[in-house]
This record gives sequence, C-alpha cells and structure tokens, in this order.
Amino acid sequence: MLPEKDDLNKVQQTQPPTRHTKQKKAGGSPSGKPLKTGNNNVAGYLFISPFLIGFLGLTLFPILYSLYLSFTDFDLMGTPHWIGLDNYVRMFTNDPMYWKAMKVTFFYAGIAVPFRLVFALLVALALNKVVEMVGLYRTLLYLPSVVGGSIAVSIMWRQLFGNDGAVNSILSMLGFPTHSWLGDPDTAIWTLILLYGWQFGSSMLIFLAGLRNIPKTYYEASSVDGAGPIRQFFIITLPLLTPVILFNTIMQVIQGFMAFTPSFVVTNGGPVNSTLLYVLYMYRRAFEYFDMGYASAMAWVMLVIIAIFTALIFKSSEHWVHYESDSK
Amino acid sequence: MHHKKLWFSFVLTMVLAVILSACSSGSKEASGDSGESDDGTVTLRMTWWGSQSRHDQTQEIIKKFEEENPDIKIDAEFTGWDGYFEKMAAQAAGNNLPDIMQQNFGEYLTQYADKNLLTDLTPYVEDGTIDVDGVSDTVMKSGKKNGKLLGIPTGTNALAAFYNKDMLDKSGVTIPESGEWTWDDYMQISEKVHAKTGKYGTRLMDPTVAFEYYLRENGKKLFNEDGSALGYEDDQLMVDYFNMNKELVEKGAAPGYEVIQQIKGVEDELITRGEAAFDLRWSNQATALDSASNGKNIQMTLMPGENNDQGMYLKPAMLWSISKNSKHKDEAAKFINFFTNNIEVYKIAGSDRGVPIKEEIREEMKSDLSDTDKKVYEYIDKVTKHSSPIDSNYPPQASEIMASLQKIDELVMYEELTPEQGAKQFRDESERILSR
Repeated sequence: MLPEKDDLNKVQQTQPPTRHTKQKKAGGSPSGKPLKTGNNNVAGYLFISPFLIGFLGLTLFPILYSLYLSFTDFDLMGTPHWIGLDNYVRMFTNDPMYWKAMKVTFFYAGIAVPFRLVFALLVALALNKVVEMVGLYRTLLYLPSVVGGSIAVSIMWRQLFGNDGAVNSILSMLGFPTHSWLGDPDTAIWTLILLYGWQFGSSMLIFLAGLRNIPKTYYEASSVDGAGPIRQFFIITLPLLTPVILFNTIMQVIQGFMAFTPSFVVTNGGPVNSTLLYVLYMYRRAFEYFDMGYASAMAWVMLVIIAIFTALIFKSSEHWVHYESDSK
Repeated sequence: MHHKKLWFSFVLTMVLAVILSACSSGSKEASGDSGESDDGTVTLRMTWWGSQSRHDQTQEIIKKFEEENPDIKIDAEFTGWDGYFEKMAAQAAGNNLPDIMQQNFGEYLTQYADKNLLTDLTPYVEDGTIDVDGVSDTVMKSGKKNGKLLGIPTGTNALAAFYNKDMLDKSGVTIPESGEWTWDDYMQISEKVHAKTGKYGTRLMDPTVAFEYYLRENGKKLFNEDGSALGYEDDQLMVDYFNMNKELVEKGAAPGYEVIQQIKGVEDELITRGEAAFDLRWSNQATALDSASNGKNIQMTLMPGENNDQGMYLKPAMLWSISKNSKHKDEAAKFINFFTNNIEVYKIAGSDRGVPIKEEIREEMKSDLSDTDKKVYEYIDKVTKHSSPIDSNYPPQASEIMASLQKIDELVMYEELTPEQGAKQFRDESERILSR
C-alpha cells in the first residue's frame, strides 16, 4: 500500500483540482474519508474482478486475437503466418460460396426480423388486453424462446416439416397436397424464417412491458374525444412504444445476422446451400476446412455489417422514435 | 488521480488474471491432462463416431479391456458421424485430441497427417506392442501416409450393392451370382422394380463415394498422382454419371434429394423400410442395416459396372490412431493391440468396423458367425478377388472438394445446373481450391 500513498501525494501536489480533498485531510478530518474512498475503489474493482477477468480473457482478448488471425493463414494448429489482406481479398473476389452465404443471410434477416417484431407486437397487444391468467399465457408464449436457441427445438422443427412430419400429415388429412418443405430449395429457408418468428417471446415481453407503461389516462382522454381503438393504436400506442421498438429492432437485427443453430440443425445449410447462413459457412470454414484465418476475417466483416446496420437504425431513430421527455 | 487509480486497479486485475490462469492450467497439468491419478491408474480418452449399436458394442469392448487391464481406464466420447470431425478439429486446435481416436481414411487422414497431429505407430509395431502379424501389406498400407504408420485399420470394408432379394424376386428379376452386372443392368432392374412394386428401385448414392468409384471403374482417378489436380481430363465422365442418376429419378426409379435429405440414419433408410430395392453403401453397414430392417431379406453383391473388378477396392473401414499430444501412447497402443488381436472384440462388434484385418481372427471367427457377419465375410472374400488397390492420393483440400462435389450433385439433381454445367463447375471449383 505504501507506493500508492506516495502516488497519491504526488498527484495531489501536481494537480490543483484535487487540493480540495487534501485540504480536508490536512484539516484533520477525523474520519479520514478521502483515503478510504480510494481503498473502497480498489475493493470495488476486486469485487468485479471475476467479471473483468472473464471479460478481458474470454471476450476482449479473443476478439482482438481474431482480428490478428484474420490477417493470417491460421489453420487451427500450426503457427499463424501473416498474409496481410489476402483473406479479405479472397472473400470478395474468389469465393462464390461466400456471396451465396451473404445473400441467404440478408434474405433471412430481412424477412425474419420484421416478421418476428410484428408478431411479437401483435401477441403483446393481445396479452395486454387479457386480464385473466395472463401470467400463464405469457409463460406459455415465452417458452419457445426459453428453449429457443436450443438444439431440441430445431430438431422438433425438423420433424414437424419433414416429409412424414406433422405439417404434411395435417395437410394430407385436410386434403391438401403435401410438400417436401425442407427438401425444396425454395421453401427450406421459409421454414427457418418461420422458426425464427415463432421464437418471439423475449421481444414480446419487452413490448408488453412497454405497453404497460403507457398511462391509461391517455386512452381515457382520447376515447372521450371519440377515438376508436385503431386510431388509439396509431396515435397513442405506437408513438409511445417507439423507444421499445427501437431497442427490439436493434437486438433482433443483431440476432438475425448471427443465426446459426436453425440452419445447422434443421437443414445443415441444404438443400443446395439455400439455407447456408453466414455463420454456418464461417463455422464450416473454421472447423471443417481448418481455415481459421479466413473464418476470423469473415467474423470481422460481419461485425462491420452489424455495426453499420445498428448505426443506420440509430441514425434513423431521430426521425421516428418519440421520447416522452422530449415533448415536455 | 482518478486515472492513476484506475490503472492501478487494472494492473492489479491483470496480475490476478495471470495468477488465476496460471493456477488453473497448472493444476490441470497436474491432474486432468496427464490422466494419472494417485493409485497409478491411467485414464485414456477415446473417441469414435457411429450408430447406436456401435456405441453399445464399443462400450462393452472397453469394459472387457478394462477388466484385463485394471490399471487403465478409458473415458469414451462418441457421437454420430455428423459433427465428429468438427469436434476433433476444435480439440486439435486446443492441443487436446483424445489419446485414441477413430480416424477416417482418405481426406481426413491426409489432413491430419499434413498437420502432423498423429503419432507414428511404426515403433509400436516393431517392438510388438501392436501385433499385426498376418495382416496383408495392402491393408497396412492404407494406414500409412508420408512414410509414417498413422493408423491401424479397425477392419476391412468395401463398397457393396445391398439389395432386397424378396423385392427383386417379386419383380421377376435376378442379379447374376458372379457379380457381373453393368450400370445398364442396374438401371433396368431398378426401373422394373419400380414398375412392378410401385416402390423405388434404388436410392442415389453419396456422390463423393459413388463418383470416385465410377471414375475408377472407367480407369481414372479422382485426383492425380500427387494430388495437385483432378485425375481425369474428360468431363464427359461426370456428365454421364449425372445423366444416369437423373434418368433414374425422372423415371421414378429413384427418389430425388427432397426425399433422401430427410434420412437421418440407417434406421430410416429406404431399404430398411422396404421402400427401395437397392442401396449402395459400405459393407460394414450391413450390421446396422440388418438390425434395423426387421428381417428383410437383404443380400449384397459387387457394385455395378462394366469393369467393376477395377472399380472395387478394399478400404480400411476406419483407423485407430494415437494423437501426437497423447501422454500415454504406450497404454493407447495397448488398447489398439487389444482391439486388433482379441477375438472377443469381434464377437461383440461383428463386422461393424469391418472384417478383422488379422487372418487368424477371421479363421477363428468363421465357426460362429452371425448370419449378417457371415454374409459380410463372404462378401469381403469375394471383393478381395475382384478389386484393385485403393487410391490414397488425396490432397489436404479434399474435404472441401468433396463438399463442392456434393453441392454440385445437388444442384444438378435439382435441375439448377445441367450435367455439362455441373461437370465444368466442379472442375473450376476444384482447380480454384487446389490452387489456393
């Protein structure tokens, strides 16, 4: 502890603004508060050190390391050799599969994310009206998301949409023609989009919380003025919900671009790569073709893409997000 | 002042992190990694892929081994084929490959050899730890790469045309006992079965295996001698191959990808459900096929083709390898020796990992074989007389090229590419991958 005291003194001598505390101490403050505050900080950092260590060791270091790897030919085992921008050049000019994966991912995210958001909002609106047993419904509707990222749901999806699966059984029972949902390159991606939409629970809960926060008085006042429920939705609910919509949109866009499990488990990227999501291709490059350098480069491109999208959404939010505090 | 404090705390945290990580890795080395516990027993990690029946059998074999070697414990990690090599790649990256690893011949052995991840087993064979007396040279050669013996074959395998004899009888067709039948015969029989029974005649085969066989049968190889390019010049071969499959699908004699993509294991294969008469696959899968098919009359014969003698080859079903980073190579070698030389092993496993590589074990087994195993033994005998050596000139990029072949086969079968375009695209992509 001694060196630290010295440090403190030095700082205090050279930095006038800190004088204040020093004088207090010099004035013989019996509590000795300033020093203690310093100690408390250390203790605080010590207490959060498990997180800090985890963050530095398991998040920050791997992230930076992968940036380094993206400029190398690392093959998972050997020593990485610096190859400059080769991975990036190859990605953009010499890898048709890369562009296929990019296309699939944009299509998937572009449809699945709005789909999930709209669906979540509709369910949240419905639940907001339900009074009885709302807890039960909320739990039930949230369940698919709790087990959402899991393999189990994906396997269930595979069964449901398989050739002999429940969906086809129901269709044939009702007299409709059956279809090879997962085997047809045109429909396979849609089953994954449907799966994504179905796991709407967490955004739904956030919407619900947002809805609950809208003061009842607004609706009462507007109904006195003769507004019907649809008009109320557009002039009260939606504007007041925009901060929540912004939050949900950003979270879901990030999730949508990073989707992996469904395409890995349900379709394994097939048929004919029609469901080859970006992250799945990245995984294959890393662990099937021992091409970790290239996969790292892919990860960084995805990071940039997500950052751009997030920034764009934030930028656009000035025009459509309404904060109650602003209007005051 | 604030700044300084923050830095101090940061440094403190880093120091702590280093200490903690040092501690944890240190203790790992002391206990977990070396796998040696206080009472002197050694723990080996062992991995394989396979079906449920193989998992059960292998665990029984492990139990037998542990009874005979009370000082060795084996931790088993097993999965299906899907994902096995991805998992191994991750472990390899962490320098954490299992002591005993089930390895696959072809692109994977090449890949692992290339990255120097496996132990050269030659010294263990030379000093007798692994006894391979009486194993034919061609079989042993299949475990060699770059002059090193990197795997001991678990058994011998060959491609086989499985067929449901009852279905063929019902359709009034037969296959010559000699195994001499052409692709035309194969197509005609498939179509006839489809016409007579309304079921499929056959099922498309995995293109990575089938196309290679097709090339061999036409006197070519998939890769050239040093693995730097494709081993055939005339794309017409691939065009013919695609056209044949397309014709089968168009006539309804074989299902398209939308059906076979749904099959997730031998248990729901078309032939085991009685929905197809033919199924071309590896001979060691007879065990799984028979046990899943509820007593259907499934027989096996040589693959079709004008020159099937030239196309057929014996392949190590899989290999047992010891990873380079293993700390207990002697004990691991002991297990491989046990697996290769103990007749009990094959009494439990049957021909699931191929037919035993040791002649004396094959002889000894002959007296009390199950019906399925008898069938497979006879079949391997037959192939031994009608085959040419296996091609082992796979480049390290082969797994990516195989994936590309698989994708192009799908594209052609889904009619997104013509066979001619497909053949050209495969050549282009292979060249692109090989030139990288």
